[in-house]
Amino acid sequence: MLSKWSRAAHPWVMKILGRDWVEYIASNTMNVVTQKVDPFLWTYDCKAEVVAIRQETPDTKTFVLLPNQHFKQPLPGQHIELSAVISEGEKAESRCYSLSIIDENTVSITVKRNPEGKVSNWLHDHVGIGVVLNISSPRGAFIYRGQEKLLFISAGAGITPCFSILNALESTAKRPDIAFYYRSRTPEETIFRSQLESNKVRSPVDISYSRSIEPDDRVNVMPNQLMDAYPDIKDRHIYLCGPDAFKKEVLSFLESIEYDFDNLEVEHFVRFNQDLTTLRKLDEDVTVTLKSQNISFVIEAENCDQTLLEAAEKKGIHLEHGCRSGMCGTCRTNLVSGQVSGNQLGKTIYPCTAYPASTQLILE
Amino acid sequence: MPHTEDSTEKRFEDIHQAFESIKQKHRDDLGEKDVRHITGIRRYSRVFEVIGRGLIWILPGPFALLGVPFLFLHRNLEAIEIGHNVLHGQYDSFEKIPQFHSRKFRWKAPMDEAAWRQEHNGIHHVHTNVYEKDPDLNHGFLRTNSKTPHNKWHWFQVPIYLLFVYPTMLYNFDAQNLGNNDKFRERRFPLGNKGYATFENTEELSDADRNKRHQRAVWRVWVKEYALFPLLALITGYGFFKVFLANLLADVLNNYWIALTIQATHLTEPLQPEEALRNKGKWYISQLDSSVNFKGNRWQSVLWGHLNYQVEHHLFPDIPAHRYPDMAIEVQAVCKQYDLPYKSNRNWWQAIRNYIGVLWHFSFKDAKPTTEELCYLKQGVENVK
Ligand code: FES
Repeated sequence: MLSKWSRAAHPWVMKILGRDWVEYIASNTMNVVTQKVDPFLWTYDCKAEVVAIRQETPDTKTFVLLPNQHFKQPLPGQHIELSAVISEGEKAESRCYSLSIIDENTVSITVKRNPEGKVSNWLHDHVGIGVVLNISSPRGAFIYRGQEKLLFISAGAGITPCFSILNALESTAKRPDIAFYYRSRTPEETIFRSQLESNKVRSPVDISYSRSIEPDDRVNVMPNQLMDAYPDIKDRHIYLCGPDAFKKEVLSFLESIEYDFDNLEVEHFVRFNQDLTTLRKLDEDVTVTLKSQNISFVIEAENCDQTLLEAAEKKGIHLEHGCRSGMCGTCRTNLVSGQVSGNQLGKTIYPCTAYPASTQLILE
Repeated sequence: MPHTEDSTEKRFEDIHQAFESIKQKHRDDLGEKDVRHITGIRRYSRVFEVIGRGLIWILPGPFALLGVPFLFLHRNLEAIEIGHNVLHGQYDSFEKIPQFHSRKFRWKAPMDEAAWRQEHNGIHHVHTNVYEKDPDLNHGFLRTNSKTPHNKWHWFQVPIYLLFVYPTMLYNFDAQNLGNNDKFRERRFPLGNKGYATFENTEELSDADRNKRHQRAVWRVWVKEYALFPLLALITGYGFFKVFLANLLADVLNNYWIALTIQATHLTEPLQPEEALRNKGKWYISQLDSSVNFKGNRWQSVLWGHLNYQVEHHLFPDIPAHRYPDMAIEVQAVCKQYDLPYKSNRNWWQAIRNYIGVLWHFSFKDAKPTTEELCYLKQGVENVK
């Protein structure tokens, strides 16, 4: 919990200075004193402070977060990874959440309580205003790419990335042709219902319920009736997000109508903090994550005899380097998790002369 | 023993292994001692800063000068023993001191860290003394070998450098690291950048980005030295200009000190072949051949950022620098064993004189010889035991 004083100051500081200037000032004034005075600003980590909480439905809350300067400006549709130590002494748990609302200085996540979920319950029960969370910078490729005709298909809490893209597009001058299909259990459990039904949203929005019938004579479209509701569905780029069972249902329907899967975006979370350090077998690919650049890439099994530097360059990723032979130390970086073989010194590795040895590698 | 292709190859391999084993020995030994060294130096730096700024602040008029040496010590420790060495990644592997990790560290000097790491670690240390490759060989408009085309600026290089460039050395280096010196030569030199290494824009920065990075690196120092502390003095009833001038003096001294330290430890001749990099044994030899030490005791060495052990630094740039005095003994033994050059000046003054002699020599148009001929690797392996 932050002191009252800094809680009041943070939104103001971020707003007046912006992340870039805060980064410049904080990094150049980092020392033991400043780190104690305000661990939210004087830190090497990406963090966010909870500045508001809204109850959306009985089991869903929106947390409005004020990220610190290490956060990169997100694109609508992207997600963040949140890590938290739920119970003292245990390892941190991490989960991905799409950003449901993106404002200039804040972002929101909208979390549905999962009765068995560790993190969602913790968020609902223990996280109040002023709590500081460890988050990642935004990532993910579930973003708008300038297509002209779109159809969003989502269910339950899966609405969040779609809602954020919809919001962004609604306010653009040249709004594409959007259709929005959302499946919820009951009207009470419908997230963002009032926003979707308000007249700010000009695109047609279709909410269908699986557990209740709407009193008016609205047709309750089932996923397998999408073709009837959207006759031009095959011309539309589809953004799909929701629980696994729902996604499966929609995918098999799309298959049945021979929809072109190149035009389909399915939300897919990229988790960096999962510790999956298993030693690599000869035929296994390796996923490498670069935390500082907030990207990850795959080294195919057949390329695992290349150095990490070469493999990254093959994918068009620039890593600092000099001699390429382990002598100058320019390339050195630290391993967060995973294992390499070759040139390494404790946690420090030399990508120019080190090779992947585990299926997952996370570098600073 | 007759010299054959194989026996020379083997010799290079042996030399490589000999230096590697020195490096490995110290890598295995890294630990608490190194953490204590760097955090200890930081503590000294803080104490000097408090004393220096305090004296400058409260002592009247010229007495404030008493604070300058302390402020100088603070800035000097931060710039080289801490900054330079930390940005080489020498302390990256110690988890508990993230403030001294090369990618997180912020310099209390007017230098952009990322651009410096690239230029210094990635280029200068790799292609040391390679013609048109090593930007530090002839930074700015220097001419330090007869291969670089001569123009009218070079006649005056000694006075211009001593009077104008060295007092602002770090600022000039930052400009170089972000590519501004290339532009100067393009405009002013008849042959443009011929004979000089040009900026490799590895981060693909736009002109605006480069400018911004340079400004930010410089202003973080200027705001503190020339606005914040003078203003604090002013509002507490002391003199603004007194503090301003004392800080300026410390800044200039710091720049000059660093300029003379680094300049005097690169003999700047002979030029090295670029191919040396392809063979690790040869690379080690070319590093030996392009660096020169000068002697000093432990505390003096700290003030020079251990750059007076330039030979060791160029052989092992990412081993913590306070280990160089120990490594020097081992390096000398290897050099003796394989009859390799190990260059050292008796003291700083001699090193400076030698260096300025080189600058003077090449300010003349037809200075001979071409320094390439002096290169150890070019003298033919036959001469070599
Ligand atoms: S690039 Fe020189 S050590 Fe890796």
